Amino acid sequence: MIEITLEVNGVKKTLSVEPRRLLADVLRHEFGMSGVHIGCAHGACGCCTVHLDGTPRLSCLTFAVQCDNSSISTVESLGGTTADHPLQKAFRSEHGLQCGYCTPGFLMTLVPFVDEMVIQKRIPEDEEIREAMSGNICRCTGYHGIVSAVRKAVTDGLKSGAA
Amino acid sequence: MRPASFEYHRATSLDHALELLHQFGDEGRPIAGGQSLVPMMNFRLARPGHLVDINRLPLNVIEIDGPVLRIGALTRHIAYFDNPLIAKYFPAFLDAVHYIGHPTIRRNGSIGGSISHADPTAELPAVAVLYDADIVVRSLETTRKINAAEFFLSAYVTALEPGEMVVAIALPLPPEAFTGSFVELSERSGDFGMASIGITLEFADGAITKAAMVCSGADLFPIRAPEIEEYLVGKPLASPGSAEAGAIFAASIDPADDHIASAEYRRGLIAELTRRAIDIACTRALERS
Repeated sequence: MIEITLEVNGVKKTLSVEPRRLLADVLRHEFGMSGVHIGCAHGACGCCTVHLDGTPRLSCLTFAVQCDNSSISTVESLGGTTADHPLQKAFRSEHGLQCGYCTPGFLMTLVPFVDEMVIQKRIPEDEEIREAMSGNICRCTGYHGIVSAVRKAVTDGLKSGAA
Repeated sequence: MRPASFEYHRATSLDHALELLHQFGDEGRPIAGGQSLVPMMNFRLARPGHLVDINRLPLNVIEIDGPVLRIGALTRHIAYFDNPLIAKYFPAFLDAVHYIGHPTIRRNGSIGGSISHADPTAELPAVAVLYDADIVVRSLETTRKINAAEFFLSAYVTALEPGEMVVAIALPLPPEAFTGSFVELSERSGDFGMASIGITLEFADGAITKAAMVCSGADLFPIRAPEIEEYLVGKPLASPGSAEAGAIFAASIDPADDHIASAEYRRGLIAELTRRAIDIACTRALERS
């Protein structure tokens, strides 16, 4: 067992973990972040995407011991139980989800992309949006709604920035 | 699907990493981005007893070092997109990076990891073979440079000995009039490629003076195509005979049947990718002339 300190959604905790434990499991079981979904556990589906020190990372391909003294954000950090982050709202209005299993991964992958587009003050081409989310798999809703949700979130972000 | 037990060690310097790898021998593996190693561990296809985490070592420099471009083993794939040296000197390399996994994988995966993992469909091993790169390998006692053609021995098998670690890749800088391209096809964007072709060309007076070609998908590791490299010399850039080159090459290989593609499909695909790669490279050469 190795002692590590993780800051998860702003809360620091020190705990002992076996080296083989995946970050995804530690976030779910030791931190109660059930929004971290594990789909494939080999880096193919993107469901478990979280931010490690601000950057998207597959938590099923990361050992918790590697993250000592790191800061981690999960989908819970976006809009909480009311899911009122602008991208979450856009997923709702544009039909970007049905069962919701893949949604946390899509959101954590796409929030930095939306932010970047707003900083660059441009609405991305659909092809760019699809490239940005190419590491995430949705098996029930399909991708059109998610693409429109991203476009809407960027458009709204640009409007509110201009106002 | 969870990995077997192992001991974890965080290396604080390159010497520390090499000491640990020396100590653990066969049981030790360096871990960087973990984008290939951890899936293998989750499937329990890999069960290293000790992982040596090298992520905090200063091995992520891309720099010109005399006649070569030296790329540190920890360079993440995403770094190539806005690196002017890659764009200027290694166009086929830059093309190839677009086919590596997905954005999150490119942000975390490293060149040392991709090269050491030696997946037969991976892009960077093919790039290393195409450019005649040296793989720079360190152990506690030795440093050696292994030419890429001698580094990849089979699927997931390399010339690395226990205790050794890839520290850099050295790509010879090309002459002035050169270009290249890399094309790949996979079932879905970012998936393991069914086949890929990389080309580099040198040219003068509207004709090819020297060529190199690499193919993944024809064998268990990336192979060069010496007969096509010879065939292309002297061909005009405006009509390089790319379709014929594709047909000649496809007739000379013996690709595998697998669950993704039959051997015949793959043979046809390789012919077509060869044609496309040569045509793209020649078009770029004409734009530069």
